[in-house]
Amino acid sequence: MGGDKTKIILSITPPLLIIILLFYGGIFYGLVQSLGYQPAIGKYEINFDAYYNILFSERYAKLFWTGLALNLWVSFVSTFLAAVLALFAALAIRKTFFGKTVCNFIYSLNLPMPHLVVAVGIIFVFSQSGLLARMLAQLNIISSPGDFPVLVKDKYGVGIILAYIWKESAFFFIILMSVLQSLGENFEELAQSLGANRWQRFRYVILPLVMPSLFSASIIVFAFSFGAYEVPALLGVIYPQMLPVMAFEFFLNPDLNARSEGMALSIIIALIVMILVIIYFWLTQTRIRKD
Amino acid sequence: MTEVNIVNLIKNFSGMTRPAVDNISINIQNGELIALLGPSGCGKTTILKMITGLLTPDNGDILLDNQSILSVPTEKRNVVMVFQNYLLFPYMNVNENVGFSLKMKGDDPKVINKRVQEMLELVKLPDIGERRPKQLSGGQQQRVALARALIANPRLLLLDEPLSNLDAHLRDEMRELITSIQKKLGVTCMFVTHDQEEAVLLADKIALIFDGKLQNFAEPKEFYEKPINVSAAKFFGGVNFIELNKNTNYFDSSIGKIISNQKNVDELHSKCIATIRPENIKISRENIYQDNFFKGKIKSVIFSGTHTRYKIVINNLNLECSLQSLGIQNINKEDEVFVNLPKDKIWIMND
Ligand SMILES: Nc1ncnc2c1ncn2[C@@H]1O[C@H](COP(=O)(O)OP(=O)(O)OP(=O)(O)O)[C@@H](O)[C@H]1O
Ligand SMILES: [Mg+2]
Repeated sequence: MGGDKTKIILSITPPLLIIILLFYGGIFYGLVQSLGYQPAIGKYEINFDAYYNILFSERYAKLFWTGLALNLWVSFVSTFLAAVLALFAALAIRKTFFGKTVCNFIYSLNLPMPHLVVAVGIIFVFSQSGLLARMLAQLNIISSPGDFPVLVKDKYGVGIILAYIWKESAFFFIILMSVLQSLGENFEELAQSLGANRWQRFRYVILPLVMPSLFSASIIVFAFSFGAYEVPALLGVIYPQMLPVMAFEFFLNPDLNARSEGMALSIIIALIVMILVIIYFWLTQTRIRKD
Repeated sequence: MTEVNIVNLIKNFSGMTRPAVDNISINIQNGELIALLGPSGCGKTTILKMITGLLTPDNGDILLDNQSILSVPTEKRNVVMVFQNYLLFPYMNVNENVGFSLKMKGDDPKVINKRVQEMLELVKLPDIGERRPKQLSGGQQQRVALARALIANPRLLLLDEPLSNLDAHLRDEMRELITSIQKKLGVTCMFVTHDQEEAVLLADKIALIFDGKLQNFAEPKEFYEKPINVSAAKFFGGVNFIELNKNTNYFDSSIGKIISNQKNVDELHSKCIATIRPENIKISRENIYQDNFFKGKIKSVIFSGTHTRYKIVINNLNLECSLQSLGIQNINKEDEVFVNLPKDKIWIMND
C-alpha cells in the first residue's frame, strides 16, 4: 500500500511541478513586476508605486474607478440577465420536443463560438449601421438608421452586455437543462397536488431547486466577464474603459515603465474576482451551517 | 370524507400498442382504503395521476361525491398524492415541508405552525420539526411525507407504493400507522402496490389490474377463495388448477368426475378450470371421503415449521397440499394416498 502511494506521488510530481512553475511562476513574476522589480530596465527596488498610481494618481485614478464601476455594472447586469434569460428559455421549452431541439441546437452552436465572433456579430446587428437599424429604417419605424440608439460602443456598455448575454446564456442554458432533466417533474407535480399554482411552483419549487447550480454558474460567468478583454476591446469606448482593456493598453505602451502599472492593474482585477468568490463561498457556507 | 367513482377510465400513450389504462371502473365508499394491485407497468401510477389531474384521461370520468372533477385543475382538486420516493423538499426543514400546502393556501403562519405540530404528533414525530430531510431515516421521511399530505384535509389521499422503499420491519410499523391514521381521520384512501400480501394486509378492497384492465374489485378474501381467472388466482399464490368439461350436474376432468356446489354454475362455459388452495386439500392413507376423492402418490414432502407441504400426482396431474404440521399423519414420499377436494372449497372459473 505505502509503496503504491509513493509511486503515485513520484509519478505525478514532475508534471505537477511544471504546472506549479508555469502557473504560479507566471503569477509570481507578474506580482514582482507590479512591485516595480524590472531588471531589464535596471529597476531592482521593490515598491507600491504602480498600485498607488493606479488607485490614487491624478493621471490614472479617474480612469480606474470609472472603469471599475463599468466592469461591475457590465458583469452584474450581463450575468444576471443571461441567467434569467436562460432560466425562462429552459423552463419554457423543456417539455416541448420541438422547442428543446431548436434551442439545444442554437445554444450548442453558440457555446464553442469565440467571443470575438460574437462581438463582431453584435456590431453587425446592433450598431447604427447594422442590420437592425437598417431594417427599422426600411420599415419606417425610425426615419434613418442614425436614429437608432447607440447600443454598440456606448458608454453604458450595452453592446458588451448584449454580447455577454448572448454568449453566457448558452452556458447557463445547458447547465439548467441538465439540472432540470435530472430533477424531473416529480417535485412540481407533488407541489401541484398540494395546491401550488403555476407561480407558486416556480417560486417555491423550481427556483430553490435550481438556485445552487445557477449561483455557482453565475460566479464562473461573472469572474470570466470581469476579466475578459476581447469583447470590451471591440465593443467598448475609450472612456469609460473596462479594466482588462486598460490593463492591456499598459502592456502595449512602448514605455516599459508602464509595465508595472499593467501588472498592478491585472493583479487588482484578479484580487477583486477572488474577493467576490470568497464572499460567495462564505455566504453559501453560512447558509449551509444555518441549515 | 369522500365517495369516489371512477367510470370507464381510458388512457392511451403513444408508442404503446394497448391502452395503459383500459376501461377501468371502480367505486370507493366514503372512508374506505383501497389497493390498486398489479404487476409493474399495469397502469397503477397512470390511474393515480389521472385522479390528481396530472394526466388527462382519453375517456371516462372521475367523480368525487358525484361531481366530476375532470375540469378542475390539479391544484384545486385537493386530491393529494404521496410519491413513492417521498420527495421531501430538500431546501426546507420538516416544519416547512409539512406546512407547504397551507402556505400555498395563504394561511396565517400561526395557524400553520399549530397544524404542523398536530400533524407531526399524528405521525409520531413530534420533535423533528427543525431537521432537514437529509437528516431523517427512510421511515421518518415517509411519515413526514404523509403528514404533509394530510395537513390540508385532502378529499382523497393517494399513496404510490408507500411501503416498497422500507425495510421489512419498518414496513410492518408503517403499515399499522397508515391504517390507524386513515381510520382515525376517516379519509378515503387509495394506494398502489405490486405486492399482494401488502394489499391484503392493508386494504378494505383490492382492485386487481393486469395490462391496464381491471380483473376484479373485491374484498381481499375473495381473491383467495373465488379468483376471477387463472392469472388472478396465480397472482395470489394459487398453484392447483384442473381443466374441466361441464356436464349437467358434475364436471369431467383428467382425474375423474368432480362435483361442486358452486352457485354460479350457469355462468360457466363448457370448458372451465377448477382451483383449490393447498390448505383446503385433504389427504389420508385410508379412504374416509364421500365424494371428490382420488387416488394419488406423494412426490415430495417439505416441512416448513407450522405447515408441511406435499406434492401429489394423480394421473399426471400435479397438486400441492399443505397441512398443519401439528398432529400430522405419518405420510411419506412415494406413499399412496387418497386425496380429497372438498366440494365446498373447490372454485370453478372460466378462463
Ligand atoms: N408519459 C408516458 N408516456 C408513454 N408511456 C407511458 C407514460 N407513462 C407511463 N407509460 C406506460 O404506461 C404503462 C403503465 O405505466 P404506469 O407507470 O402506470 O405503471 P405502474 O403500474 O405504475 O408500474 P410500476 O409498478 O412499475 O410503477 C407502462 O407500460 C408505461 O411504460
Ligand atoms: Mg408506478
